[in-house]
Amino acid sequence: MTTEDTDFAKKIAARLDQGAADLKAGTVYRLQLARQEALARLSDPKRAAELRLAGAHALAGSGTLGGDRRSWASGRLWIGIALIVVAGFGIQQWQAYQQLKDIEETDAAILTSDLPIDAYLDRGFQNWLKRAIDE
Amino acid sequence: MARTHRTDPVLASYQEISAFLAEVERRAFKQAMFAVRDEHSALDIVQDAMLKLTEKYSEKPAAELPMLFQRILQNTIHDHFRRQKVRSTWTTLLSALGKGDEKDDDFDPLETLPAKSDSNANADPAQLLEQGQIMAIIEQALSRLPARQREAFLLRYWEELDVAETAAAMNCSEGSVKTHCSRAVHALAAMLKAKGVTL
Repeated sequence: MTTEDTDFAKKIAARLDQGAADLKAGTVYRLQLARQEALARLSDPKRAAELRLAGAHALAGSGTLGGDRRSWASGRLWIGIALIVVAGFGIQQWQAYQQLKDIEETDAAILTSDLPIDAYLDRGFQNWLKRAIDE
Repeated sequence: MARTHRTDPVLASYQEISAFLAEVERRAFKQAMFAVRDEHSALDIVQDAMLKLTEKYSEKPAAELPMLFQRILQNTIHDHFRRQKVRSTWTTLLSALGKGDEKDDDFDPLETLPAKSDSNANADPAQLLEQGQIMAIIEQALSRLPARQREAFLLRYWEELDVAETAAAMNCSEGSVKTHCSRAVHALAAMLKAKGVTL
């Protein structure tokens, strides 16, 4: 970029400043509203200063509002994790119990049925059973 | 208008953020207008950028606000185009009558240029007319620049960010910023010369 190029760019920027100054009143008003809304998110100046102070104390490790809020958020996180772990363990135990119960029921049914237990080891009986189920 | 960039690392106060937004809002709107060419979309983009700055970056030093805001603004403009692309894809898919001649290529930026306010009512009407015409030609030329060249030019020379800050705001290298700026200046000079405009 030569000096001429830079001068040319600055002249254009000066013209653009004029253009920005000549915005329609309606547009300027809407921009003001947008700014006010954005600033409202910052809360009022006293509150913003308070939060900043609290944040600084929390960083310094003292027990202020910010510190309490963070430790409470951290506590809730750990409670959530603990609940998930307990729930997972409970589901696993329940599934194991259900599996055991199913096996017990099957064993009981086999042992109490009229059919001799050796029949289940007979290949011919298995083939007959399979055909019967397919039909 | 000279832009004042503070160099102290103190966190921005409410008043500083308020003053910064008041100072930058008009230029931000014009930047968005050059890019999206629609007043309502440009206003939405500026509002989104302001909200993001105050919600997420208000705890930053005052000196970083210009660069951060420009970065947010550019990203918001890019998001607008991304959403527009997705929307137009769905519109094309859903509309059997969709024609290819509705693209932005046929857009004339002069149609969206705002009317001059009557704040210069005492000035010479002929001079005002000439200024308005030159302004329209400059803004039209800016709108026709490739997006990255326009971004680099406006950030560097209008927002007066330095090369490093411009690179950070555009998320590119400093070399790219210099290249974009140089190309933008030469393209603008050629377009204004073709229209018979001398500054």
